[in-house]
Amino acid sequence: MKPVAFDIVRARSLAEATRLLAESGGTARLVAGAQSLGPMLNLRLAQPRLLIDITGIPDLTRIEDTDDSVTIGACVSTANIEDGRLPGRGLDTLPAVAAHIAYRAVRNRGTIGGSLCHADPAADWVSTLCALGAECLITGVNGKRRLLADQFISGAYQTALAADEILEAIRVPRLSAGGRCGYYKVCRKAGEFAMAIGVVLNDLDRGVFRVVIGATKGRPIVITDARDLQRADESIDDDAILRVFDKHGIVDRIARRQKLAALARAYNQAMKP
Amino acid sequence: MIPICLTVNGRVVSKTIEPRTHLADFLRERLNLTATHLRCEQGACGACTLLIDGQPARSCITYVALCEGADITTVEGLEDDPIMVALRRAFSKEHGLQCGYCTPGMLVTARDIVMRLSNADQARIRTELSGNLCRCTGYVGIVRAISHVVDERRRGELAGIVRQEGPLGPVGARPAGSNSGRVTNAPTAAPSARKETSLGEIALGLGGRQPNVEIKQSFVVSRSPADVWNFFSDIAHVVPCLPGASLIRPPAGEHVEGKMSVKLGPITANFVGHARIMRDDAQQRGVIMGAGNDQSGGSRAAGEAEYVLEPTASGGTRVMLTIRALLVGPLAQFGRSGIVEDIVARITEAFAYNLEARLTGAVSVDDQSVQAPLKVGTLFRQVMWARMKAMFATIFVGPKP
Repeated sequence: MKPVAFDIVRARSLAEATRLLAESGGTARLVAGAQSLGPMLNLRLAQPRLLIDITGIPDLTRIEDTDDSVTIGACVSTANIEDGRLPGRGLDTLPAVAAHIAYRAVRNRGTIGGSLCHADPAADWVSTLCALGAECLITGVNGKRRLLADQFISGAYQTALAADEILEAIRVPRLSAGGRCGYYKVCRKAGEFAMAIGVVLNDLDRGVFRVVIGATKGRPIVITDARDLQRADESIDDDAILRVFDKHGIVDRIARRQKLAALARAYNQAMKP
Repeated sequence: MIPICLTVNGRVVSKTIEPRTHLADFLRERLNLTATHLRCEQGACGACTLLIDGQPARSCITYVALCEGADITTVEGLEDDPIMVALRRAFSKEHGLQCGYCTPGMLVTARDIVMRLSNADQARIRTELSGNLCRCTGYVGIVRAISHVVDERRRGELAGIVRQEGPLGPVGARPAGSNSGRVTNAPTAAPSARKETSLGEIALGLGGRQPNVEIKQSFVVSRSPADVWNFFSDIAHVVPCLPGASLIRPPAGEHVEGKMSVKLGPITANFVGHARIMRDDAQQRGVIMGAGNDQSGGSRAAGEAEYVLEPTASGGTRVMLTIRALLVGPLAQFGRSGIVEDIVARITEAFAYNLEARLTGAVSVDDQSVQAPLKVGTLFRQVMWARMKAMFATIFVGPKP
């Protein structure tokens, strides 16, 4: 199908983009690579009056490299990350996850910030960035603020961004030398949206042992201390995970099996020496 | 209309376009370059894959206006490209095509595999090809053809062409120029108002069809089943409890006509529908047979909802709701039933709060103020407002007997 008529404006700066957003009174939508919004526009599920293209803002593809983190501009593409164009020390997870998001033709335009703001519960970046403890750097008409990724995502397709705010960049803390991150997703076909995602970040040198259960109906489920899901011998405790599913209303038998399998496999990756 | 200037197959092209035009339509309809094919138009099938700045991309979900200054290459522009020549020969030899519909997209993806992945084996080639669907060949010939050309390149026969890495960011994106930053064409008319289907034409309920949405929900309110049953008897009081819902006209007996808007991130739906409500006083059980159309998106839904009231130990009521519905059109095509479930869950949650607020007298039954499209923020404020009203009512008026 063809989308409903809209206008496109190319913003030249962050300030201009936030001003345009604020002036639109909620009828505009930001667009970067358009790889998630495009299908929704073409299906006419989304019918904004105005698209504000932010890919012409040079600041949004900046990468900042520090000892303990890398800050990735919101418009850096998933293919850029797959190709190892980040200073990746301690963040091998990012290219590994990137390589299995949708298809190369989509990754060449899809951006990390766009994916996070689209907040599709089944999106790889949503679960991954929540697990890594990434911080979202936000700019609005009234200044800047920061939010952890799991607070940034407020539900299916919902974020904590106010009407005039833009996600500028994502700061991802590096893992320590002994840190491991496991990631596993269950897909019906390579490149399709995941039916289950498990992420385990085992970085006890930094005091982090976090578990994320993704591809839920809303926000990813974040368990800040994975020791709650361990048996005495450090193997993963299926019953404890099933209790988490009960608590979060994951009742479908197949969904439970898929999510359990994804999490167990991610856990085993993260526990490998 | 807006002006656009970009390079297509080495030629500079300047045109005036409608902002919603996607790249594939622009090439096919305006430039008569029909090698780029269109099928799903939602980024899934890969038929429209072409090169933007030398890298493969989907032209159906990339709007031309986002490609100001970009360098586009279609299959027409790769006629003399040595890798493409080798691929065409190999596809032909290995029977890598039959009807030819997927072939342009396949060739563009194949070229990327050959250039980028010099060590790709057949398994890797299959993974990389997962975004290009073919209904004829079973992929065996395509994979074999690509494999041959990967081998040729590895042997150094096609080494002359080197893949170039562009700047960071989406392919095709250029810094916004001096004519940017201005909104000139914002459509003033409301988006796509569809021809309204007469409600009489829509059959109520499932009519024996299999549902594709099945949801069970329950919630508890503090008043007795008799109070709740009595409240439910007046549909004009029930509808304002549903966020985003309103009646189109006063109910006529069992028959109700209403509308409901739902907003979820970028998704908006404005359903107009009708329903028949049947109540069994003896069992305190109600059945609603309904059907509706999304006026903006074109989705259709028909279904049956049943509710049963049960007393709780603390003197309240548990309302148990079963919804079985058939959803067709874009919302169903989007294929994420969990999201529909999530919307229903949040509507039910809001309904329960609103119902409680009215049953306890914290909000007047005629109060229409909690009426807004369902949004998390709005919902939250509504719920907090209802809770505050209930709290003040308890503090200053005391609980009702």
